[in-house]
Amino acid sequence: MAQDVLQQTYDAIVVGSGATGGWAAKRLSEAGLKVALLEAGRAVTPEEFTEHMPSFQLKYRNHSPEVMRTRPIQRQCYACMEYNYEWFVNDLENPYSTPPDRPFTWQRLRVLGGRSLVWGRQSYRLSDADFKAASRDGYDVDWPFSYADLAPFYDTVERYVGITGAAEQNEMLPDGQFLPPMKMTCGEIRLRNSIKKTFGRTLTIGRAAVLTQPHNGRAACHYCGPCERGCMTFSYFSSPFTTVKDALQTGNCTLITDATVSHVDMDASSNQAQGVTFVHRTTKETKQIRGKSVILCAQALESTRILLNSSTREYPKGLANSSGLLGHYLMDHVVGGGALGTFEDLKIPPSASPPHRPNGIYVVRFRNTPATGAHPHFIRGYGFQGGSSPSFNMDAPGIGTDYKKAVKLGTYQVSLGAFGESLANFDNFCEIDPDLKDAWGIPALRISMAHGKNEAALMRDAGVTAAEMLEAAGATNIHVTTGVEMPGMAIHEVGTARMGNDAKKSVLNAFCQSHDVKNLLVTDGSCFVSSACQNPTLTMMAITVRACDHLVARFRRHEV
Amino acid sequence: MKSRSPDATVPVAKPGPPSPLINRRDLVRAALFASAASALGPAFSFAQAVSSGLTPAALGEDGSAFLTDPNWKAAFLSDQQNETLIGLSDVIIPATGTPGAKEAMVNRYLDLLLSVQPVEFQRQFVDALAFIDSESQKQFGKDFRSLAGNDQIWLLTPWAYPRQPSHWMEQEEKPDLPQPHFERLKGLIAAAYYGSEIGQKELGWDGSVTHGPYQGCEHSTTAHT
Repeated sequence: MAQDVLQQTYDAIVVGSGATGGWAAKRLSEAGLKVALLEAGRAVTPEEFTEHMPSFQLKYRNHSPEVMRTRPIQRQCYACMEYNYEWFVNDLENPYSTPPDRPFTWQRLRVLGGRSLVWGRQSYRLSDADFKAASRDGYDVDWPFSYADLAPFYDTVERYVGITGAAEQNEMLPDGQFLPPMKMTCGEIRLRNSIKKTFGRTLTIGRAAVLTQPHNGRAACHYCGPCERGCMTFSYFSSPFTTVKDALQTGNCTLITDATVSHVDMDASSNQAQGVTFVHRTTKETKQIRGKSVILCAQALESTRILLNSSTREYPKGLANSSGLLGHYLMDHVVGGGALGTFEDLKIPPSASPPHRPNGIYVVRFRNTPATGAHPHFIRGYGFQGGSSPSFNMDAPGIGTDYKKAVKLGTYQVSLGAFGESLANFDNFCEIDPDLKDAWGIPALRISMAHGKNEAALMRDAGVTAAEMLEAAGATNIHVTTGVEMPGMAIHEVGTARMGNDAKKSVLNAFCQSHDVKNLLVTDGSCFVSSACQNPTLTMMAITVRACDHLVARFRRHEV
Repeated sequence: MKSRSPDATVPVAKPGPPSPLINRRDLVRAALFASAASALGPAFSFAQAVSSGLTPAALGEDGSAFLTDPNWKAAFLSDQQNETLIGLSDVIIPATGTPGAKEAMVNRYLDLLLSVQPVEFQRQFVDALAFIDSESQKQFGKDFRSLAGNDQIWLLTPWAYPRQPSHWMEQEEKPDLPQPHFERLKGLIAAAYYGSEIGQKELGWDGSVTHGPYQGCEHSTTAHT
């Protein structure tokens, strides 16, 4: 590594190159700040994308013993496959612990772009029903800003990223700057019409970070299907080929890959962060880099791990933790409730050839809304994701010619799966495990989280309402699930460094700036005050842009 | 990022001359390299970064070559088990107007799969094969692989359909022990067949990576009200 890269002092050090780190690097470098962007993993190129590789060319057809051996946790995520498992962390090198009765699955990528390479791309705004939820139902606290404060930044992000979707004028799910919506199937249109008529509920096509027309120099989706293996036309949003690329093109951003940040370095005399220390991924050398500000975008749990590992004499419980709340209020959407059925009268055979729509449908939250009033059994709510399309019927009875015909004839399925709000709870937390280190000698996390009674009630209700909606639309053979999956399964973990206006009750202010250390920001999902029930990445990106613009203004006022 | 999609329906590319997409891919890659190199300087290059950490798939390796290896030897199955499996797969998914499980080398893929699965998975599979043979011995006094085709069909067919309680006696139906064994084998054979190139073609895969935009429902706006 060229030493001169490490010998200069940057205006900003951004840790993490995923959805939020990419935005931070882009926004700050385009504003003229000198930025160092640190990524724990290696770079990635389109050469290694496998979205068009036939599945039968995988030796084990996605049952690779190497994946089973090295990614026993990561492979719980559908996107960790024999195609791309090296993007995901090696669980043997990246341990964490949990109490025996509180399991948590932690899905991580260490490669340029992080989880933006494999994310589900669903992109939904939060509303004041979320930001001001505490004021309505009395649970916990409101966010330190309102929807109106964040709306312009949602606009900025959506216009750049390219979000396909349809406007619905639903107060629980604000509309955005949409590219043309993807089309629905026959079954989805039937379900949409039925549940609007029967229940007054809104089903819309998924709002996704996938281009339906050329946009900002990227081509429209060609509907090959498996986005999580990369996209050679960059039609879904991932940071290496958008925000990070833009940042590098300014000439103001230096990308340093293979840099696993262990902790933030402090100047005790000024109470300012002065840079970070990292361990090189391959050489395991320890190095330092200096900056006038540090922005952590490493993913909620990783950013908090860095802060907890940054204890000083002044901050013995972890850096920026005078509140004692760092690590607490960990959240991840509760999943497990829903229903599956068939539309037996829709006789449309499936096909293994494209087009394959990389998107589903979304049922907007309809519980505990201003219109419906308070539910007797739970607070907050859930949204459904799902779809309805023909699929091959491998479970068909029989053998021989009849079986082959039945498989191809297929069944027309319809499914809804809920993503519910995970309530902010002090007792769901992460901390440093004193007995566990990763392969780079960095102390690892102990994660302790369990969903509670409210989450269980949400999923029970979701099973019931999903079934009633499918039944009303004419589905048969309905199967219901009402369980609660292990925390972490939604891969929507947020919280652990919450924002707030009161420094005694929060870690960050409304601009993701540490209350304790003014030149330290955390703009990934750590800052969330509540989880809402919408997929969080769009909101993380909007918050990052807002925080970075605020930081740039402080630079211009010479406050940093 | 939650639910797992059926891999059997994943579209795939056929080998052949470079497509317009490939050309675009090269152009984009060159542009990216240029922009990154200018920003990073000589100390940081993508070439360095990608020197390790790629999956066999990302390296473009075709892992299916073993299926047609003339020197193929089973890694897990005995000769008898292999022959029983070939016979079973040929009855469950025969060649019709299209090739069947035997042509798709279902036995070779399942042998490889079994060789890397946990002991319990292996045991259940071997037990299921042994069960088929024991039933064949009971009915015909021969192993399954030695039966005539019609007798093989006759033996398997009752297990291939859902069971229904007897109409004649009001007593609890005894669980049908053979059926789970058969269903286990059928499920794995079907997955191996439809996951093969032959199986994908059976399901309509034509090797194209795109057929234009997704059209969705093409009925009238009132068709699904």
